Amino acid sequence: MNCTDVKEWTVAYLELDLEASLVRNITAHLEGCPVCRDEMEAVRQVLVRLKRRAVPDPGDRFWNEFPDHVRHQLVHAQGEATPLQRPSRPLRLWTGIPVRSWPMALAASVALLVGAWMLAGVLEPRNGGPALKEQPVTQSPVEGKSDLPHIVEADWEDFGEEDPDMVLVEMASRLDRQTVDRLFGEI
Amino acid sequence: MAESDNELLDRYAAGDESAFEELVRRHQRTVYDLAYRMLENHADAADLAQKTFVQAFLHHRTFRRESSFRTWLFQIGLNQCRNAIRDRARLTHADVDGLPLAAPQDTFAVAAAAELRDRLGWAIRALPERQREALVLRVYHNHAFAEIGAIMSCSEGTAKANYHHAVSKLRRVLVGGEERP
Repeated sequence: MNCTDVKEWTVAYLELDLEASLVRNITAHLEGCPVCRDEMEAVRQVLVRLKRRAVPDPGDRFWNEFPDHVRHQLVHAQGEATPLQRPSRPLRLWTGIPVRSWPMALAASVALLVGAWMLAGVLEPRNGGPALKEQPVTQSPVEGKSDLPHIVEADWEDFGEEDPDMVLVEMASRLDRQTVDRLFGEI
Repeated sequence: MAESDNELLDRYAAGDESAFEELVRRHQRTVYDLAYRMLENHADAADLAQKTFVQAFLHHRTFRRESSFRTWLFQIGLNQCRNAIRDRARLTHADVDGLPLAAPQDTFAVAAAAELRDRLGWAIRALPERQREALVLRVYHNHAFAEIGAIMSCSEGTAKANYHHAVSKLRRVLVGGEERP
């Protein structure tokens, strides 16, 4: 082992972060090399001075009040959370029973789909039935698209940032009004 | 026997306010110490220590408990420190390699202790960010290098190398003298 090797391992040697065999070799070298001993001592002095650097104690009052400061900031931070980060708040229906909004949204979505499917079934021409198919369904302003998908897509985009419950209610009212106007007006 | 951090976290998640206070009191000095050693002033350290706990409690459900809560706090704290250092730009960007070497060792005996402390503080502040982090975690918080790697999101070997370079640079600046070949 030469001086260059010892220099490379100086920090690890002082940190006791070396294998025993390596420690023995370095120790043996140090016994016969005053230059490396001086270097080792210089690095050790750096570590000693570093260790002596104390952080000033801010005092008991600071530590006693610290949890309250954290709590205050935490409450403030929770208040700043975006609506998507907040847990959904329970709605209170007319029964006074708190209900989470997402099951209501899911139920409303299912009801809408079933309603649309049933309406489509009612209006589908039957054998020998009224010649409804001779009455073309009014086309949406967008060519090639029927009214229903157009309404659904457009309304979701319009209400993307709104309360999902309100979006569904609004969509249901629009869908119902437009569908009734279109379908029953033609009948 | 005192409750573990994870048990306290469970109680906090269940709405127990006393667990919150116990967790903060248990780690407040450690987090403040880390912040102070990285930022070197009380106001910033106090602010950053509070932010560290706020982030921890805001996101406690994302803590996967693969490391200790303390290690997780250190990770959050170091991230806060990095942001603070970059945002506020309060620390010098001087490269410690460019600093003049200290006087030869025989004149150190007459150097004032305060001057030495200032020089040490200056040299530490001038260290590259990662080297400084490794130095603080090792010297002042006695973390093993594997843990330092976990906190700094690097390998154990990288943590050791950062620490080694930091000490070597401080040795050159503080002790002075000619570098040996």
